[in-house]
Amino acid sequence: MAREAIHTGFLRYAGFRWAKAALLLCAVSIVAYIWHAPADGPNGGSWLGYTLGTIAGLLVLWLLWLGVRKRSYRSSLGSVRGWASAHVYLGLALVVVATLHSGFQLGLNIHSLAYVLVLLVVGSGIWGIAAYASLPERISRLREGSTREAWIAEVFDLNEQAIRLADSMGPEVHQRIVASAEKLPIGGGLLQQWLGPQPSGEGKLLGELLEQRMAGLRSQPAFDPDRQSTVSFMASQLQARPEQDLTQVQQLLDLLAQRNALIARINQDISLHARLQLWLLLHVPISLGLLAALLAHVLSVFFYW
Amino acid sequence: MSQTSMHTIAIVGSGPAGLAAAGRAAEAGVSHVLLEAEDHLSHTIYRYQKGKHVMAEPTALPLRASLPFAAGARETILGAWNDGVSALKVNVRYRAAVSGIRGTAGDFTLTLANGETVQAENVVLAIGLQGNLRKLGCEGEDLDFVQYQLDDPDEYRNERIVVVGAGDAAIENALALSARNRVTIVNRRDEFDRAKRDNAAAINKAIEEGRVQLARNAGVAWVRAVSEGSTGVIALDTAQGSSELPCERVLARLGATPPRAFVESCGIVFPSKEANAVPVVSARYESNVPGLYIIGALAGYPLIKQAMNQGYEVVEFIQGRSPEPADTPLLAERLKAMPGFTTVDAAIERIRARVPVLSPLTPLQLREFLLDSAVRVPQPGEVIFRRNDYSDSFYSVLDGGVQIGLDDQDQKGIALGAGQFFGEMSLISGRRRSATVRAGASGAVLIETTRSSMNKLIASVAAVKRVLDETFLLRAIQARIAPGIPAADLQNVVASAAIRQFKPGAVLFNEGDAADGLHLIRKGSVTVARNIGGRETVLAYVPAGQYVGEMALLTELPRSATVKAAVATETIQLDGGDFKALLTAHPALRASVGETLQQRIVSNSGTRDSGKATGGIVQFLMSQGVGEATDVLLIDESLCVRCDQCEKACADTHGGLSRLDREAGPSYATLHIPTSCRHCEHPHCMKDCPPDAIRRSPGGEVFISDACIGCGNCEKNCPYGVIQMGVTNPKQPSLWQWLVLGGTEPGLQAPVKSKAKKAVKCDMCKDMKGGPACVSACPTGAALRVSPEQFLRITQGGG
Repeated sequence: MAREAIHTGFLRYAGFRWAKAALLLCAVSIVAYIWHAPADGPNGGSWLGYTLGTIAGLLVLWLLWLGVRKRSYRSSLGSVRGWASAHVYLGLALVVVATLHSGFQLGLNIHSLAYVLVLLVVGSGIWGIAAYASLPERISRLREGSTREAWIAEVFDLNEQAIRLADSMGPEVHQRIVASAEKLPIGGGLLQQWLGPQPSGEGKLLGELLEQRMAGLRSQPAFDPDRQSTVSFMASQLQARPEQDLTQVQQLLDLLAQRNALIARINQDISLHARLQLWLLLHVPISLGLLAALLAHVLSVFFYW
Repeated sequence: MSQTSMHTIAIVGSGPAGLAAAGRAAEAGVSHVLLEAEDHLSHTIYRYQKGKHVMAEPTALPLRASLPFAAGARETILGAWNDGVSALKVNVRYRAAVSGIRGTAGDFTLTLANGETVQAENVVLAIGLQGNLRKLGCEGEDLDFVQYQLDDPDEYRNERIVVVGAGDAAIENALALSARNRVTIVNRRDEFDRAKRDNAAAINKAIEEGRVQLARNAGVAWVRAVSEGSTGVIALDTAQGSSELPCERVLARLGATPPRAFVESCGIVFPSKEANAVPVVSARYESNVPGLYIIGALAGYPLIKQAMNQGYEVVEFIQGRSPEPADTPLLAERLKAMPGFTTVDAAIERIRARVPVLSPLTPLQLREFLLDSAVRVPQPGEVIFRRNDYSDSFYSVLDGGVQIGLDDQDQKGIALGAGQFFGEMSLISGRRRSATVRAGASGAVLIETTRSSMNKLIASVAAVKRVLDETFLLRAIQARIAPGIPAADLQNVVASAAIRQFKPGAVLFNEGDAADGLHLIRKGSVTVARNIGGRETVLAYVPAGQYVGEMALLTELPRSATVKAAVATETIQLDGGDFKALLTAHPALRASVGETLQQRIVSNSGTRDSGKATGGIVQFLMSQGVGEATDVLLIDESLCVRCDQCEKACADTHGGLSRLDREAGPSYATLHIPTSCRHCEHPHCMKDCPPDAIRRSPGGEVFISDACIGCGNCEKNCPYGVIQMGVTNPKQPSLWQWLVLGGTEPGLQAPVKSKAKKAVKCDMCKDMKGGPACVSACPTGAALRVSPEQFLRITQGGG
């Protein structure tokens, strides 16, 4: 007796029900397109063109509705997992339906803009699926059962320990360690988050808008630490200090190394989390752009008919 | 100042019960004295945090007392009582801890801690259950800088503080104080194994990092005040010898002495050794010692209003009056469904006479029992509960009869008549109903009682416990192992059966042991493990209601696997020899037991191969206490995109307070157990809920009803940290408003700030059509709720 699956991801949901539905939609559209062959060549103005256009337009509206459904927490209209599954596969099918609707007639106009936006939205969606498929497990592996909060607490602990140790090693060392403890290189701008731990980030490729959206994801302000130099400073102390202090210097170096490794880990964790959401910063705004372009496309077609 | 005059009534303890008694005595002009150990009234409520909102459950019960009481802030209530005590001219003696009560009705002598004595004709014991704080028990225990409570750790700075104790309170105080002070914690033992896991981890970390100093295996020898260098010195005895620590403060958190020893020393008898047993009192609140009355929490009535009513009534009884108990209208409401109902007293007498299991109860116990009960009059054939329902109430048959169906089709069954009872299986095992029960052909009149009330009764009345245990044994054997065999034939097997208790992790039997019998799991659950490739590998999880070791009934082979208790477990051990004799006498039974065994062997062989891969996960889940869960939220981290939809969904559907914390909690490989309610078989949170507000619904969900008084007991008792105190926000942000105009996104609304906090926890969205919101809102299918039985399926590749 086949056992009911308790646990499947959204891509495999209900035995690929929505993948099959999407394939069927594509197949029917392609067959109709080939069979139709109107006298003036395939275009959006034929009856099939209007049919495919209507399907594509309704699909876009429905795909956008996911944003509403996933926040309607009391809704019992299917599970969000089912919706996400259908969203992915029908979204992919949209490329085929929209392309056939265009009849491959593209130009520099509002109609083609809508088409290009469809491709961009679907493209960013594919990026999202790739991110969802690969990153979650990497986060778990990195975390090894711990949490970012615990790491940050540990960094503070290590800092305190380092400062306590440095207390007894003269004002110069003390200042150095306090300064390094006060400016921890955690988080950072969008690019730093995206690329992971890097030596100081510079350019802001994706602009101010995205930067603002990412502010909420950021856990700590950006900082360029010059942390390497604290370590090398301490390393130089190894030579400069009298023999009896060496164990302390070595201990301090160990603490700093431990702390910096942890910071690297935290930054990697932030980066992985940011990358899980980064694609949405394209996907959602472009979708809204698509909605506007779609409205303009539909209105203009009927207006100039 | 020794008091030689004879009082009519001496009242011990000035909590709500004692205070109300003294208030009534003062009002009625009865000679009395109210003895209070502290220097203020109502110490338990006095110790509540500032501004705490005190509730007045049960709302329906009228208050009958000479002092006012209504729900409100701690200060308002204490203020009103202080005013009332002055206005009524109550004779209070503060700092008068009673250390002994001797004498008989008409001539009691109460000895105080300072050696003075008080004479009284009657004594009302209203000391509650908090007990007295345990002191150091050595020289200097009462010095000014030695304290036994900590209200606000921020009050102390730059002090050397020695914290004595290793429980949760000591650890939490030591950690809080260590932020601004130099703290040494003194542990009598080697480890912090009495504390909650999180607390033990936190204190060990603090010790490792040097934030807190530890003196382990150490006892306090003496404390002395000094004039130079510090305020005092504390001397510790350790295995390495004794040492002396200078300090400014000693904080001893050693828990409280339960009042039981004191109560017993007064000659009062407890019905059983159970920790939650309460002394038996008559309908006039008189104990087995004539003239010695017990009211309030000590008598089993933990709510303020109940206790105050009893305080009033006990004075009336002592004065020879018989007021109608305040709960009579409530009882009438409960019992009026009984056919032929006339008066409450008549109805109670009829129940006592007709239901043997309830007849050992005193009239007062029976009243209390019936207050928590409902009369049900089902039509002939009507279903009382269905097999696999998650209800856990207990039914006594008053009239008519019921039919218990044992198999799926309800073909075979047992008929129960008036005076018998059912529902004890789920009550004891904490699991789903094992059979469907219908009203008999002539209908039935049933008394349905809640789990908590029944558990209280089992603890308090030994006769009830014995009858329930025996019935459980017989019915469990009849239902699970020997269906259709009449009770008479099972006599030998039942007589040789024993109830055995196992602590978590204890071994029922080891692989290779000689087989001596079968264990029917009555409560808790076990894991079955085999030694595969030199490592113990868990193969199966067996919950209550099932059995293990059945091979021993048919063969002489040694045990093929090691079975351990996953949580605190009780089993019924059946002796192999007696059972074999039974099988010889009943060939049909032999065949059916053989068939069951064959099926088990087949299903076990399937898990044997996969055991290697899954043993680690099952072991991890068990170590996290999932074995006692009925439904636990798991997150597959390989699918979890960390979007926190689950938390947002929970908050949005539950007044802005998410009852789960996705990120917190342990993980193993990619399986994560977030901090979220597991709906335990025997919920720890239910253990000590004064208004009995925590219930289990027929679907299995453990939820908190509106009767919650915000005492926080459940939050403390939950070992998994899934209950929080908070206030739900009735206003829900609008999705469309947020989409169009911005503002608060659904699921992210800020919680309400208020003092009137109540306990909130997961209710598994029992009232929502789509099931648990956390699961149905998960976009990737990472969140799932499972019962322990499903673990193996999940861990064996999700199929």
